[in-house]
Amino acid sequence: MTFQMFLFYFFATIQVFAGLRMISVRNPVHAALFLVLSFVCAASLWILMEAEFLGLLIVLVYVGAVLVLFLFVVMMLDINIAQIREGFARYLPIAAVAALVMVVQMIWVLNDKVFKASAPPPALPEYNNTEALGEVLYTQYVLQFEIAAVILLVAIIAAIALTLRKRPTTKYQNPGEQIKVKRNDRVRLVQMKAEKNEVEPE
Amino acid sequence: MDKIASLLGFLPESVVAIIMILIKIILIIVPIMVAVAYLTFAERKIIGYIQVRIGPNRVGPKGWLQPIADALKLMTKEVILPENANRFLFLIAPLLVLGPALAAWAVIPFNDGWILSNINAGLLYILALTSLGVYGVILAGWASNSKYALLGGLRTAAQLVSYEIAMGFALVGVLMATGSLNLEEIVNVQRGGIHHWLFIPLIGLFLVYFIAGVAETNRAPFDVAEGESEIVAGFHVEYSGMAFAIFFLAEYANMILISALTATLFLGGWLSPFEGLLPASVFEIPVLGSLLGNGIHWLVFKTAFFLLLFLWFRATFPRYRYDQIMRLGWKVLIPVTLVWIFAEGIAIAFGWTPWA
Amino acid sequence: MISLTHYLVLGAILFSISIAGIFLNRKNVIVLLMCIELMLLAVNTNFIAFSHYLHDITGQVFVFFILTVAAAEAAIGLAILVVLFRNKRTINVEALDDLKG
Repeated sequence: MTFQMFLFYFFATIQVFAGLRMISVRNPVHAALFLVLSFVCAASLWILMEAEFLGLLIVLVYVGAVLVLFLFVVMMLDINIAQIREGFARYLPIAAVAALVMVVQMIWVLNDKVFKASAPPPALPEYNNTEALGEVLYTQYVLQFEIAAVILLVAIIAAIALTLRKRPTTKYQNPGEQIKVKRNDRVRLVQMKAEKNEVEPE
Repeated sequence: MDKIASLLGFLPESVVAIIMILIKIILIIVPIMVAVAYLTFAERKIIGYIQVRIGPNRVGPKGWLQPIADALKLMTKEVILPENANRFLFLIAPLLVLGPALAAWAVIPFNDGWILSNINAGLLYILALTSLGVYGVILAGWASNSKYALLGGLRTAAQLVSYEIAMGFALVGVLMATGSLNLEEIVNVQRGGIHHWLFIPLIGLFLVYFIAGVAETNRAPFDVAEGESEIVAGFHVEYSGMAFAIFFLAEYANMILISALTATLFLGGWLSPFEGLLPASVFEIPVLGSLLGNGIHWLVFKTAFFLLLFLWFRATFPRYRYDQIMRLGWKVLIPVTLVWIFAEGIAIAFGWTPWA
Repeated sequence: MISLTHYLVLGAILFSISIAGIFLNRKNVIVLLMCIELMLLAVNTNFIAFSHYLHDITGQVFVFFILTVAAAEAAIGLAILVVLFRNKRTINVEALDDLKG
């Protein structure tokens, strides 16, 4: 068994374990953390396949941002765990059968010799995955790339539009107005007659 | 290094390789740990002087043994587990903050050829690792099972994710200028004296990067995660003893990392500012020449300068309010980087590249 | 050596796990979203394996686009979830029957 083989089995085992725990733990926060573990293993496997740009990208974008968002939401929401776990035991047999059938089918198909492609030779030291990906992405797939960018923009706007609300009870400050203030807006000088100290007649 | 390798000649080659890597890792980690210890001392001394006090001066000559005394004190204290806290997550959270802060040093060049792992996606690796630091904080906050800790953890998570974007965009500017993700190449592009360093053409990105770096490390004035006057101490309010010490180590290791990165990316890392400005004969004078020439001492010096800025900020600025932090991150820093990248792209497209 | 089948079987197993997860956690929207993410991850692993073993970088370009769309999906999904929770105080899928005539 080569070292790469060992790495593959190591990460693959952890990833499958994390996936199984993710769907079976009670607490959604733990589920999110197992998903994180699963993504980190996937990143390692991708780097093992010399796709280091995507491997690091998934850590940066997914583990570093999207899954933090998941954790954030799960931690903020006050979820009734007992209620949403209802029916877990009832669906367990169906789920297990469905998953097993799928796995067996796919492995059966994958055993065909079409998929027995031999491992390519390791990349040369001067091969740069980032550069290779960039060259295709910005020439052949530039239109698709731009569409993807627009999709992200739409997602940003949609997410903000959905969750933005102004609570009537919250107090806001407008720093622009605070800076714009002139002396005349705040201070009013009043001319008043000096009062005579008259002793009122009794 | 080669000598040690030849001494171990009787072992198989792969074992020697692993031993050499371990030695290099120790050579990187030990100085960082010492630097962290004395950074805490420097912080107390410098802030002391800024506030016209003397700072710690009792333990050892002029207080120089203070960090060791602190470490001993924290090590002998009990680690208290809060009731109903998640034990495993509670204890692993500090390590999750410290781990990335140390692992990122693997791709930083210390001198010509002094680099643990010269990978060609180094910048991406650093971005990926620094983004992992959030987990330690958010888990510490959640696993403590305390309101203050949870609030601190969530504040930090939001802050770190926001400033990561500005930081990433600032790095995009750097890699556009250098055309490489490899840190050694980024340093080599800046060869030829101080006027070739990237902070001149990329001054906006340089400032954004450092400000975002201060925010990423949760240092004052962006320390709402701790905010001792509002949420006691934020995410590490329930931590004590060694677990707390690791958070502390991680915070200072992160400061050193950000300073070293800023120095490497924008100030030419281990390059000397006089390279190419002084005649070549000056660099051949025995001691003075090697001091003025390129070398690790320049990286140390530049890093120390940025660390001083960290401490200076802490002594100078009052803490930002949470909404002010968000406004600065999203409405000031990110637009600045976007405009700068756009301008830089135009400059590159038309061949106006003074740094090349 | 690791063959293409190794990675494809791993992808298949992960995909099936997330299918099972959708069956099991059908009341919990947030775990459903996580299962979808895991599913996309399995697909991405397959794409990268094909790209690596067939020497075609296009597979990685596909992964890039899938990641973009998945990130957008996660952001909007979570936003909807937050709004949902604000209005209904629960994320139970069965409580979402307001449109039932």
